[in-house]
Amino acid sequence: MKRRRRTEILIQGDSHVAKEFAASILEQYPCNEIISPRYGLTMLKIRESAKNSLFYLGEVLVTEAKVEINQQIGIGIVAGMKDELAKHLAIIDAAYKAKLPITNEWEIRLLEEEQSILKKKVKKQAALMETKVNFETMDI
Amino acid sequence: MGYVAVKGGTKAIEASIKRLKYERLKGQDSIHVETILATMRGMVDQVMSEASLYDPYLAALAIKQAEGSMEEAVFLLRAHRSTLPRLYYSQTMETENMFVERRISASFKDIPGGQLLGATYDYTHRLLDFQLIEETKSDIEQWLSEYEQEVNCSNPQEEVIYFPKVVDYLREEGLFETNPLENTPPDDITKKSLQFPASRSERLQVLTRGQTGAVTSLGYASLRGYGQVHPTVGEVRVGNLPIYVSPPTEEESEYEDDYYIGEVKLTEVESFVPVMKQNNRNKKELEFEIGYGICFGQNETKAIAMSILDQCLDHPEAPYPTHDEEFVLLHIDSVESTGFISHLKLPHYVTFQSKLDSVRGVKQEVEKDEN
Repeated sequence: MKRRRRTEILIQGDSHVAKEFAASILEQYPCNEIISPRYGLTMLKIRESAKNSLFYLGEVLVTEAKVEINQQIGIGIVAGMKDELAKHLAIIDAAYKAKLPITNEWEIRLLEEEQSILKKKVKKQAALMETKVNFETMDI
Repeated sequence: MGYVAVKGGTKAIEASIKRLKYERLKGQDSIHVETILATMRGMVDQVMSEASLYDPYLAALAIKQAEGSMEEAVFLLRAHRSTLPRLYYSQTMETENMFVERRISASFKDIPGGQLLGATYDYTHRLLDFQLIEETKSDIEQWLSEYEQEVNCSNPQEEVIYFPKVVDYLREEGLFETNPLENTPPDDITKKSLQFPASRSERLQVLTRGQTGAVTSLGYASLRGYGQVHPTVGEVRVGNLPIYVSPPTEEESEYEDDYYIGEVKLTEVESFVPVMKQNNRNKKELEFEIGYGICFGQNETKAIAMSILDQCLDHPEAPYPTHDEEFVLLHIDSVESTGFISHLKLPHYVTFQSKLDSVRGVKQEVEKDEN
């Protein structure tokens, strides 16, 4: 699974998934911490819809961590102050970059978690849809 | 009369800071940061927006430390921001990808996808609810459980719906101009001081982090006649927008290689403003332009006011203060305006003594002349 989809699942889903994946890597492979979780900023670039131009909206606080496994550097970045999750994400990122066989075993779990996230979103949106307006035209 | 340099006050300052802590604690009660997060959504959103730093937890902490003073909380968060390194820039965010929680139009009744009221104070009675004084945790749990049951009974959808923009629908009909994608890298007012004339990216960056009250007041001033813009709101949308960053060490990475890092809640407004334009046959005709407003959190008044000011500043030829970018952009920042105003209470002994000397001198001259 590619990184974009994978990180969506790991961040939006239950944080235990990332924790379990990272623990299973650490049991089998040596891991060097290059940057321990630290706080920083990510500047948000956005497209405005009046003239279709770009501007900077402001910054979001992020936690970043970097680790090395099998000479591959993994990066974990997540919005907010989430030291543990950032480190777990970095370990998982390094595992995928190093093409460790264990990553193939994660696929089913990730797909299950993706379904669970989708269900929650759909449920949330269904609740919001209760506030959708049904206009009735009045005869005057 | 000579000037005297003075020093001292260290002990008084220390005692004053202690007194400040006493004022915060004397009620022998404290509020948890989590409680502020859970109960003061509007305030947290406003602090993040004016500080230009999105982190609800730190905004709540700033509110606690500042005892609810908005300007102080914004100052604290802005100061904290200045201690952190900027590690990444996001990929371009597009609000079509927003998970919409609220979306309305004042221009059209029937918009594609429909009008979603979401959570809003717009239709509430502005009467104090005295029952909240007695609200207990079990009341809250019971209400939530009943609400969740009610919501569970509603028809579930199959997939998440992403709402189209109202303006895109109008562009397809040829009623609004379609601008090509403009990919010029934006200017950044946190890296380079604002100079005039400002670029569009600088203008929007200043407006989005402007003080809510100041942005609202100037937007209102334009409506009242100190400007030429009176729009109809085409769309207000509130919701969460995902953030992605590209891998910093991988050259030629693909879209699928980006890192998802989380999301931000935003309010976005597109206002439709009628303007007279000359057509190809040299005749004047009415057309619409779009005023754009956006800010962190749910703050619809600020976003609408920003959309008015965006349009005002796009027409600097109008002889009104709200169309003067120097007037607008240099006076709406919370930290700059509150900082400058409040510095007036700090010691100005030398400058004031100098003014007194001048007045005394003039008076003596007048007395001499009269004698």
